[in-house]
Amino acid sequence: MSSTRWKKLWRDLQAARGRMIMMVAAIAVSIFGVGAITSAYTILMREVSRNYLGTNPASAYIELERVDDVLVESVKAQPNIAEAEATSWVMARVEVSPNEWRPLLLFVIPDFNALRLNTFKSEEGAFPPQEQTILLERLALPMTNAKVGDAINVQTPNGQKQSIVISGLVHDPGLAPAWQEQMVYGYITPSTLAWLGESDTLQILKVKIKDGSSNQAAIESAVSDLAAWLKSQGHTVEEIRIPPPNMHPHQSQMNSILFMLLIFILMALVLSAILTATMIGGLLAQQIRQIGIMKAIGARSSQITSLYLVMIAALGLIAVILGVPFGVAVGRGFASVVGELLNFTIYSNAIPAWVYVVELLMGVLIPLLVALNPILKTTRTTVRETLNYYGTTRETVASRGLVSWVAKLRGVDNTLLMALRNTFRRRGRLILTLSLLAAAGAMFITGLNVKTGWETYLTDAASYRHYDLELRFNAPQSEAQINSILATIPEVQKVEAWNLNPAALVRPDGLDIVRTYPDGGHGSFSLRSMPPESKMMEAPLMTGRTLQPDDVDTVVLNQMSAAFFPNAKVGDTIQLTVNGQTATFKLVGIIKQILTPATAYVTPSTFAATTGQPAPMTNAVRIVLSQHDAQTISAASGAIESALAAQKISTKVSITETMLEGATSGHVYIFIYSLILISAVMAVVGVLGLMSSMSTSVIERTREFGIMRAIGAKSQTILRNVISEGIFIGLMSWITAVPLSLPLSWGVDYLVGMLSFRAALPLILSPLAVFGWLLLVLLGAVFASFYPARQASRLTIRETLAYV
Amino acid sequence: METKSVKQNQVQAKNEARLIELRNVVKAYDVAGGKFVALKNVDMQVGAGEFVAVVGKSGSGKSTLINMITGIDNPTSGEVLVAATPVHELDHEQLAVWRGKNVGVVFQFFQLLPTLTVMENIVLPMDFCGTFPARERNARALALLEKVGIAEQADKLPSDLSGGQQQRAAIARALANDPQILVADEPTGNLDSHTSDAVMQLFAGLAAEGKTVVMVTHERDLTRFFTRTITLADGEIVAGAK
Repeated sequence: MSSTRWKKLWRDLQAARGRMIMMVAAIAVSIFGVGAITSAYTILMREVSRNYLGTNPASAYIELERVDDVLVESVKAQPNIAEAEATSWVMARVEVSPNEWRPLLLFVIPDFNALRLNTFKSEEGAFPPQEQTILLERLALPMTNAKVGDAINVQTPNGQKQSIVISGLVHDPGLAPAWQEQMVYGYITPSTLAWLGESDTLQILKVKIKDGSSNQAAIESAVSDLAAWLKSQGHTVEEIRIPPPNMHPHQSQMNSILFMLLIFILMALVLSAILTATMIGGLLAQQIRQIGIMKAIGARSSQITSLYLVMIAALGLIAVILGVPFGVAVGRGFASVVGELLNFTIYSNAIPAWVYVVELLMGVLIPLLVALNPILKTTRTTVRETLNYYGTTRETVASRGLVSWVAKLRGVDNTLLMALRNTFRRRGRLILTLSLLAAAGAMFITGLNVKTGWETYLTDAASYRHYDLELRFNAPQSEAQINSILATIPEVQKVEAWNLNPAALVRPDGLDIVRTYPDGGHGSFSLRSMPPESKMMEAPLMTGRTLQPDDVDTVVLNQMSAAFFPNAKVGDTIQLTVNGQTATFKLVGIIKQILTPATAYVTPSTFAATTGQPAPMTNAVRIVLSQHDAQTISAASGAIESALAAQKISTKVSITETMLEGATSGHVYIFIYSLILISAVMAVVGVLGLMSSMSTSVIERTREFGIMRAIGAKSQTILRNVISEGIFIGLMSWITAVPLSLPLSWGVDYLVGMLSFRAALPLILSPLAVFGWLLLVLLGAVFASFYPARQASRLTIRETLAYV
Repeated sequence: METKSVKQNQVQAKNEARLIELRNVVKAYDVAGGKFVALKNVDMQVGAGEFVAVVGKSGSGKSTLINMITGIDNPTSGEVLVAATPVHELDHEQLAVWRGKNVGVVFQFFQLLPTLTVMENIVLPMDFCGTFPARERNARALALLEKVGIAEQADKLPSDLSGGQQQRAAIARALANDPQILVADEPTGNLDSHTSDAVMQLFAGLAAEGKTVVMVTHERDLTRFFTRTITLADGEIVAGAK
């Protein structure tokens, strides 16, 4: 600091320590927000892929009558096939408390040590598991109410209830977390499966194709060739599953969160720019007279400009140094929370260099760019104008339509009137402050609106389901028999058959290719029979009509299945492959169903004709109970299980409303955490901006306060004046933020809803958000105004009048 | 050759005789009711070494007049020539450099920069204009402070000084780049009579040393210090224009 002008710069920074700290804090908070979001984004993007791809997921799963080692070796020798393995999966059940069962998906692994596709890692206990024991996925364990070493009761479709010891835990990042899906994942050997009462014959051929394994078309082509070869070898290809390549089952959920984070990154950048502009405006207002003096003694505009630019760059740099570590830490923490929620292991917290570069540019370049124009404007102002600057102009004082109107009101407190007048005194700054606060408020309200929209969607989805329990059987059962058994359970009020059969899109090669993941739920596409006049499901119609009793070969799609037919309109004909046969339907309507896999609904008679399952038989029923609380559902479920078991009817899975609620809410936590984090950052930035603006306004009027006090104003009057001004600005920003949040919420609702559910989230103006922001902005305004007001009220009259 | 030199000397002598010259200067401001003309076709000259007072009632255009000379403000029409430089033709950047080197400005409220010490305030114009080698600036500043009698206050902040001391510091700052001209806008307006007298002695001494001093003042009892008094009324020079 050899040069005097740089000494001045340094001393100015020191003299205005409080305001500089605030400015640095405000920029640092923006950087923190952007840093946290970008850090989390980059970690999650990388680790989602690393975790999922680290399992080396198979490109396709082909269901055959039998898969043995010879076939596996032959398949490996096929062109385009990089790897092949045999496996089986069986949907069984685990008893989590007496007569309360949860779905248990068993993965049958012939050789745990030689596993190359869909791998998983041992976390605890034995690996591989001893015979007649089971390994559980680490997040599935808590759902069994057991611990490693305990025995749990398991029942397979063809077996009896069998007690099996949990010999260890594995981490399988290829699956959606058990608690989110309300499903337990287990890993056993083929001989253990046989011990549980099933055939030890493996039926699933897992294959990984060479080159282009992330290309859906290449996979389908290679698998189609393989299927043709398998058929030529005398094998019967039952079903082919080709899940979206290299995409975790919750990738779309992740994508929507990351996408939303990206939108908010952009918003945070805008906010940061507005904030910086407000701050710089304030800084210049404080220094304008000194700029005039410097020019009067020979300083060139370029010299003054460079002084302030260096000052701003230095402050930006400090903000970066402060904001980046916090942003990175919170981003890492957030990624870790998301990782835990999605059952990922975060292998590396490394953040790519571009994130730091963006933060540096944001912290230094944006303030410089934003500051350049006002600095140039100020330094080019004539010396006379700068020396005569009193924080207001003739024009601004003259423009006071609202103030004149208020002034005419009787009984308006003079202090309030003065505060209102001061609010409009610097229109440029008022617009900036209002923009900042309104933008922060709009984002805050949007965050909570979207959260409410999401929750409402889930609540609505639950309210559309007017049943308490769904039972799926391992084999079709007589509907009459089921009805008569269930009639013996006092809690059962109503039973309807809602049959279920896998479906696939029609392909020219006639293959039955579905998009289902190994868990059988994600990416699945089903054909279901829906009793036309049923009251058990009232999903809202998006277009067309619902099924009518006399409908034949007509179909109603939910929006997830409609996405497979992007050009289909109501009245068009669509085709599906069901049990290897092509079925043609007339599309009559599309309904909205949240967190429900792709489903095509038909009448029971159409279902029977299409699947070949006779109409008096059923493979799934939905049940309405007399009471709908979790306890009644659990008790009734147990009683139903026992009654069916007594009649040797094997239940594949029983899905209670409690489980569905658990599964849907499980999917929403991450999203809500993200929105709350973002909203909090926006709120802090907004209040800091207001604080900066208020402190600038007070500094500008320091002389004026001296005069006011010289003519009799009390310190309290000044305090009240400034705080009232802050409250006026807060209120005005709130009035602006609420309508601004509506288009913003609509946009985010649409984007996030389409990504997650293929249906826009409902636009809901959350009263909590609207009034919460009002409260926050008012408290923030009082807080933001109090400090500068107190400082101003404490200065002596002599100090204020001598203020340069 | 000799003839040319004589002619040059004559021109120089004429220019010195008119170190400051205002020709038909008009300055108008936009105000709520229309335009306010602060200076009306003002013609005036100030010669080298003069100590000129500009007097008049409040609103007569005194400050506007000296703002024309310093380039702090520009005329609506007319010409302002200072040391043969057409000030009215200079842009802001040129004005800043020109002013820094040629005119020292002293304000009524001193206008010292509050975060710099007295010494640093005096070094600052040299820093901006690059007029003296960096290593000589402190010594020069100290010499100027001695000249105005407050060398012992060099390391204090302006707020630690009395009004009179601050005005002396402001005068030292105005002299920092060794300008030919000093322009002061009511420099004693904020001082008691005793301190005013001392400050006026200082200006008179500077004028005696060859500096040209133009000063706006309200105080008629200071007239004894001036070599000439220009009287303004309603934007027009009514006496002393030369």
